[in-house]
Amino acid sequence: MTPEEIEDKIKEIFEQNYEMLKLEGGHALTPDVTQSALTQVLYYYRKMRSVAERVTDTEVKLTLPDQLTPDGRRFTIEGIVDIVREEDEVWMYDIKTHDPDYITGNKQFYEKQLNVYAHIYENLRGNKLDHTAIISTAFPANMKAAIASGDAKRVEQELPKWNPLIDIPFDQSKVQATIQDFGAVVDKIETNCFEPPSLAVLQAKIEGTNSIFASRVCRNCDARFSCEAYREYALQTGTRTQSNFKKYFEDFGNDLEQEEFLTANINLDKINSQPEIPQ
Amino acid sequence: MAKQSIEYFWKLKGFEPNDSQREAILHTNGPLFLTAGPGSGKTRVLLWRTLNLLVFHEVKPEEIFLSTFTEKAALQLKDGLRTLLGLATNVTGKPFDISKMALGTVHSICQSIITDRRFSEGGARKHPPLLMDSLSQYFKLYNRRFWTQLCLTGGFEAETSANMEINEYFGNTSSQYGPSQSRHSAVTEVINLFNRFSEESLNPDTCQTSDATLTKMLRMYKAYLDDLNSHPLIKQVDFSLLQKMAYEQITSLAEASSVYKHIIIDEYQDTNAIQEKIFFSLSKGNKNICVVGDDDQALYRFRGATVENLVEFETRCSNFIDVKPKRIDLDINYRSRKNIVDAYTGFINIADWKKEKPATGHYRIHDKNIKAHSTDTQPSVVVSSHTRAENVYRELAEFVYQLKLNGKIEDYSQCAFLFPAMKNNVRVNGFRQAFEAVNEAFNLTGTPNELRIYAPRAGRFLEVDEAMAIWGLMLLIFERPHYGDTQNQSLRQFRQWLFDCIAYANQLCSEDPLLKQYVTDRKADLALIAKDYEILSKVASKAKLNIKDAFKYSMIRTFAEAPGLSPKGKKNLSNKFFTDIVRKRELEGKPFTIEYIINRSTSVDWSVLDLFYQLNGFRHFRDMYSLAQSGMDEGPVCNLGLITQYLSRFMEEYSSVITAAYMSEDKFSHSLFSSYTYALYRLGEAEYEDAEDPFPKGRISFLTIHQSKGLEFPVVVLGSADKREGEANIKELIVRELLQKEGEPLDKISKFDNMRMFYVALSRAKNLLVLPRITTTRSENSVPRPDQLYATDEFKTFFTSNNLTAIPDFDINTLPSAAFEKEDLGKAYSYTADYLNYAKCPRQYMIMRKYGFVASRSQTMMFGSLVHQTIEDLHHLLINERKKAATV
Repeated sequence: MTPEEIEDKIKEIFEQNYEMLKLEGGHALTPDVTQSALTQVLYYYRKMRSVAERVTDTEVKLTLPDQLTPDGRRFTIEGIVDIVREEDEVWMYDIKTHDPDYITGNKQFYEKQLNVYAHIYENLRGNKLDHTAIISTAFPANMKAAIASGDAKRVEQELPKWNPLIDIPFDQSKVQATIQDFGAVVDKIETNCFEPPSLAVLQAKIEGTNSIFASRVCRNCDARFSCEAYREYALQTGTRTQSNFKKYFEDFGNDLEQEEFLTANINLDKINSQPEIPQ
Repeated sequence: MAKQSIEYFWKLKGFEPNDSQREAILHTNGPLFLTAGPGSGKTRVLLWRTLNLLVFHEVKPEEIFLSTFTEKAALQLKDGLRTLLGLATNVTGKPFDISKMALGTVHSICQSIITDRRFSEGGARKHPPLLMDSLSQYFKLYNRRFWTQLCLTGGFEAETSANMEINEYFGNTSSQYGPSQSRHSAVTEVINLFNRFSEESLNPDTCQTSDATLTKMLRMYKAYLDDLNSHPLIKQVDFSLLQKMAYEQITSLAEASSVYKHIIIDEYQDTNAIQEKIFFSLSKGNKNICVVGDDDQALYRFRGATVENLVEFETRCSNFIDVKPKRIDLDINYRSRKNIVDAYTGFINIADWKKEKPATGHYRIHDKNIKAHSTDTQPSVVVSSHTRAENVYRELAEFVYQLKLNGKIEDYSQCAFLFPAMKNNVRVNGFRQAFEAVNEAFNLTGTPNELRIYAPRAGRFLEVDEAMAIWGLMLLIFERPHYGDTQNQSLRQFRQWLFDCIAYANQLCSEDPLLKQYVTDRKADLALIAKDYEILSKVASKAKLNIKDAFKYSMIRTFAEAPGLSPKGKKNLSNKFFTDIVRKRELEGKPFTIEYIINRSTSVDWSVLDLFYQLNGFRHFRDMYSLAQSGMDEGPVCNLGLITQYLSRFMEEYSSVITAAYMSEDKFSHSLFSSYTYALYRLGEAEYEDAEDPFPKGRISFLTIHQSKGLEFPVVVLGSADKREGEANIKELIVRELLQKEGEPLDKISKFDNMRMFYVALSRAKNLLVLPRITTTRSENSVPRPDQLYATDEFKTFFTSNNLTAIPDFDINTLPSAAFEKEDLGKAYSYTADYLNYAKCPRQYMIMRKYGFVASRSQTMMFGSLVHQTIEDLHHLLINERKKAATV
């Protein structure tokens, strides 16, 4: 198949996957959002064709069994990656749909993750591995703006500057510490320790971003209304007046999110259909 | 001992198999028939047998088919296998990747067979069908338009007459009113019949019957199948048809019968006709089929399972694949103390299982010899005093408290009450009240010893406290629908439930003024959009616009500046995002309609799920979260999680956006309450639901015996020893007639099923089994005769022929203490979904991942899945392209 044919095929597969997800979940995406998801895949193919065409195993499930937590529980670690295996070198990729700036700003997270995966792949499975990397399919700000402008020239200019491949050097010396930490988390999950982070954490800036925890994580969490930490954060300014209370609850996302929700989900057929009235 | 032997690994794991376990594990060639009594170490045998194949016999993971009954059991097998194989890797240095193994429920394996390249011509990857779960299936058929069409295609004259005829056919008739007119019950019957048809691979074109109603239902079945195949891109299937689809794929390809070198099926007694066909067709090539099960624990006839698959396996195996299987009995029980094992083995033999002459043989595998491993002969089966119900409830409730007080159980979740049926069961309520009375009498309320139960299936789920609070508050906000004067019993009951919810919500509002304010504010939102709707509709009619016509960009001003329009309405019509999209659509030649624009500008900012999450911010609900966060009590949060699943289902089936037009004429209220909730309310009457409920810590679980399948508890209390025998299900008769099948005698089916069900209940107990003796006598004073008992005949025989200790005479000190067992199998955790998410926020992790709350807006998640899935497919495509190029 020629690259053009592959792109047509991508559109076809994408269409079918979208139909499937829509039918499964009952939710839809706005045409714009759908388009931008398709654009991401198409640009992934254009930009990363040399990688995509060499992938030998996709969605490889890696497992690290028989680990012990500090409290003595047995557990297994699981992860999923793509592998490119060639005669001279082997790459391991983890494809992420969140933005590259965040990833670059929080490299240590991803380093730990890929280190554990690399450890499983190399040591346990006895495979050779030369590089690990993250592919971030989300566009950086400039690229996003160029695509939004609809100006093909600008896109042409931005495309070469965008590097979806973020090299993550792997270093086996920290693997054991990560696994240890993982085990400690398993103990906490198994003993039902689920208190939210403290107010200080909510107010702190997240590395690699300009936003604080409360606005990046909490604002996207439906359970924030019943959360003491978030409540404390949201109500801390001013007195707990009536209006303050209302504002706290009347938070349904910003205007853009609201409009997107409407565009995607208004369905006149459903709204106009006559409901059952039992007699 | 050689490092490369399985014995070495057994030793490493401290496992000492008995002779039959050892033989079963080491068996590798030809069909194998494993009868496995309760607690006989079946799971271990399966794990080690699979390990033996993988590690010592060079079988590849993808060449093994290993199925079991529930997702939970499948997960356990997966985790256990991973742990053992991890051990093997550490010793041998050889990695094993079981992610490609066909390991799961039969349904989930069928799903993967359908998309598995090995099962399709030319190795192309097929797209999966869209799977409807039972609730979706119900809503699809219950939909009036669809159902009416189906009835007409079937040859009925109209919907009402069809409902009556179908209901009459299935015996839903009352002497006073004649056949029921209820669509709900007709639909429910027809769904069960359709599913059974699919599981029996019945072909509606070739089946003949002289019965007029059945003929029509066969035509309806055909129309149903046609409809599921009508989408151009995606085929739809229900759970039963999923299996049929997989079977058809297997039989359409000659190589399919050799794809798996080993077929291993757990819980074989609960498999059905189509599954048996799948198993035998997959094992035709290599003939290595291993079935494991216990006919005495067969529970799922009502879902089409046939225990004969197991009882007659030896003959059927010879017929289908020409080899007689080797039989091994796993008959040593490691779970229970000796008296318990003796009790249930004695119990099952009270019934007569012999086939009637001239036939020979039995309807069960009668020549098993289940023995206890335990030699502890101290009393471990106790009975309550033989007395009136309320005394029995009280005695048992106090007894459970004593067990905790004496440290015989560490946590109340170590004690389970099992009931043949939970819905509308007076016993369930009786016990509940007795527990409350004991809490009061001993001042336990608020202490760690407070007796609390978890019984989400006891009434309808909608009747649990949390559901009534949420629905009550929604009723206050959206207002309740009205039905006028009705004679319909179930509707009257439902209306009463609505009143009860409202009363409860009012009480909550009076306790929390902020909550009351919140409800008022949301009502104001609705009033506001209603008013704007009126204004905008007037604008349209004044300008003589047809609301179905195109909305032009130039009209924005006319609408946005309508006198009296609220600031919010105005903003909706003039914000940039809105004006841009209107213009864009117009330029593209796909303008919005005026109706759409009016709806869009008069919608509230929230959906029912948003409402739910906000309501959860008030004290009454917040406290529930606090209890779960600290691990004190998971019960209420489990229920809240289930509620989100029901609400999101509403948004899927109906509309997620609430607009003024939708609110008008009670349309929304009827959709949410009269259609959706009423359907759930009535479905909740069904005896068995699919839900795999959690067992929250800190609570005594009240379960149906069906739910207890495969589980064990240190202390088991049988809630009722009574279950009436009924007539054989009409579906059984239909299938036998249409397909000329035979089976257990129709007049014995009910007795056999009751015996097996109670056998399951009795064999769940590890340390102590408690049986109730509730007298049928009314008199308070006279001593009841032994036969004056609410119990099956077999239980009466059992009580009289065994000298069981009564609770007042039981020495609690002889009872061993139940320790909390640490799962040795080792659970699997995902690096991203578990570790990273927990690290981000433990509370969000708990709510979304552990209790499965449904998020109210899933745009970001859906976006991610869509991109990921398509990239994965792209990789597959490119890999295939390369392979093609290489062969050319």
